[in-house]
Amino acid sequence: MSTDTAPEVQPAASSPVDGPSRVRRELVRFMPLLILGVLLVLLSLRNPDLLTQRSLLTMADSAAPLMVLAVGITVVILCGGIDLSIGALASFASVLTALWVPTMSSAVVVPVVLVCALAGVVQGWIHIAARVPSFIVTLGGMSLWTGLALAFSGASTIAVTDLGALRWAFTRVGGWPSAILVALGLVAVLGAVLRFTPFGRWVSSIGHAEPAARLAGLPVSGVKIAAFGISGACAGLAGVLLVARTFSGAPTLGDSLLLPAVAAVIVGGTAITGGHGGLFRTVVGALIVVLLRVGLSLIGVDAGFEPIFYGLLIIIAVTVTIDRSKVAVLK
Amino acid sequence: MTSPDTAQPRAARPAPATGPRPAAGGRPRQTWRPRGTDAVQTTASLAALVLMILVFSVLDAQFRSLDNLVAVVDAAAVLAVVTVGLTFVLLLGAIDLSVEGVIGACALTVALLVANSRTGLDLGVLGVVVAVALGAAFGLASGLLSTRLRIPSFLTTLGVYAIGLGVATILFAGERPIVEDAWLSGWASSKFLGFAVASWVAAGAVLAGWLTQRYTRVGRYAYAIGGAEDIARLSGVPVARYKAAAFAVAGAFYGLGAVMATSQLGSGVVTAGSGLNFSAIAAAVIGGTLLVGGRGGVLQSMIGVFVLTVLQNGLILAGVSPYAQQAVQGVIVVAAVAAATWPVRHRLGVVK
Repeated sequence: MSTDTAPEVQPAASSPVDGPSRVRRELVRFMPLLILGVLLVLLSLRNPDLLTQRSLLTMADSAAPLMVLAVGITVVILCGGIDLSIGALASFASVLTALWVPTMSSAVVVPVVLVCALAGVVQGWIHIAARVPSFIVTLGGMSLWTGLALAFSGASTIAVTDLGALRWAFTRVGGWPSAILVALGLVAVLGAVLRFTPFGRWVSSIGHAEPAARLAGLPVSGVKIAAFGISGACAGLAGVLLVARTFSGAPTLGDSLLLPAVAAVIVGGTAITGGHGGLFRTVVGALIVVLLRVGLSLIGVDAGFEPIFYGLLIIIAVTVTIDRSKVAVLK
Repeated sequence: MTSPDTAQPRAARPAPATGPRPAAGGRPRQTWRPRGTDAVQTTASLAALVLMILVFSVLDAQFRSLDNLVAVVDAAAVLAVVTVGLTFVLLLGAIDLSVEGVIGACALTVALLVANSRTGLDLGVLGVVVAVALGAAFGLASGLLSTRLRIPSFLTTLGVYAIGLGVATILFAGERPIVEDAWLSGWASSKFLGFAVASWVAAGAVLAGWLTQRYTRVGRYAYAIGGAEDIARLSGVPVARYKAAAFAVAGAFYGLGAVMATSQLGSGVVTAGSGLNFSAIAAAVIGGTLLVGGRGGVLQSMIGVFVLTVLQNGLILAGVSPYAQQAVQGVIVVAAVAAATWPVRHRLGVVK
């Protein structure tokens, strides 16, 4: 499932790997798993009930929307871009879902995911065609989707009364929460696409060295636009999962998930500069973020500290994982 | 963690006049962009502002009343102050996404330090000074993190945004502090020469911002760094130090914006800066302060502030949903950024 970069896709242009940086790279690769293990042990020492199957599954269940969002944005970050619109897009998706459930029942997930994928594709296309940096396009998207979500919902929470329609996303299948199965299924499918089709190699090649990828004849523009489409589709799916667990759609429902999602990707060890990383790392990163959140409340830390931890986590993890040889001038 | 410019001996810094010109041709990096582009952008936004005012005045009698003019200026005050700050960061070619978090933290700080319903403090002016200083400290943190750890500013400021929001939430502690300081409340409620006191504060802040940009090293070097950072570094400008300083100046303006917002809201609110970050970026870009850095300035950004405020005011009078306006704002920013670089887009190289 891991899509860690295979050595053969590294373009010759990248700097030669010397001793310390190889050690660091290996450290970056295994550190997240190590941190996850240490966190689990520490937390279970504090509260032995944490390691029961029930509480682990509940935790995994609550991690599902975050994981879906983080997996989507991973593809964009692997290309070297960023998508800041995912939180707002997930909120927009939740509003659409709540509005469309009465007419479409369970089938609602299809149009919602398609609309959000289209939204992502449009953002990617503008990024490519007008050569506007991706964080600006998606920052504009953030404002656009929030505005549309507020306008469509009349700035209020829309309750979903047809509880059966989204039951599939908030139930248990053979003891497993269905939402986490959906998330893991998504990871498996996307992971397989990245691993067994040229798309995965294209994505990491573009992230490693875009000019080289372009000269080598890779469909750079198409791959980047597709990456934004995947990110949008994942945001849509996350929105549906959010509605399934809260039984309502709201114009700011998913906004607070942007920071933990970015944190999950970076903490997992995917470099913000692109190229290095993979979906499996993001899954580990998402679990770390969720464990931290649970852990903080376990040891009685005020909920207000949560964003502070995300902020510090992002800065620390980027410091460790960023590939400084790629950024000549830091903006 | 050593950054190149700190490693340089101080003596190596040449005096601007006698220093070696970067490359033989004078301004090598600017050949790809005609020098007149900035003027075109600023003139275009000024024309758009005038046109908008004319159209709204013709369509709506309420718009062209003197009361509404005052209302527009008063409504622009907070955004103007925040945009002045953000302009310093944009001049560097960097970006600041921390505005809303910093404003939240500063708003709670000032609300808890002046006479209020929760703490027994009554620091008055000192409370305002502390809030502005806190803003500057947040800005300095963003700047130092990006320059010393060598992380792109949009990520460090995203982190600082979260930290500021957390600080604000902790200070809020579940109970809204209501401002009982008559002097601070007076910023929003009492008038001086027809305009709210806050508008005069904003005018003073814009003037201070313009003077800083025009006559101090922080401002002058911001242009040099944003125009071509590598050349500024080669010319002996301590890039990291002045970048951090520009972020700190920006943070101080966010702090002042937070104080003004708090006086308008009448209490300390975590989300006092909600929406301001994006509006400020939009205003700066519309006015001609480009995201590539080294272009525009405080006064150009102010044109953008008035474009946005007049548009908002006119659309509200016309009965357009404020939510639709937020959506439109998102499109406007992307369009403005795209328009600014459209003629040279094929020469931009890798755009991340």
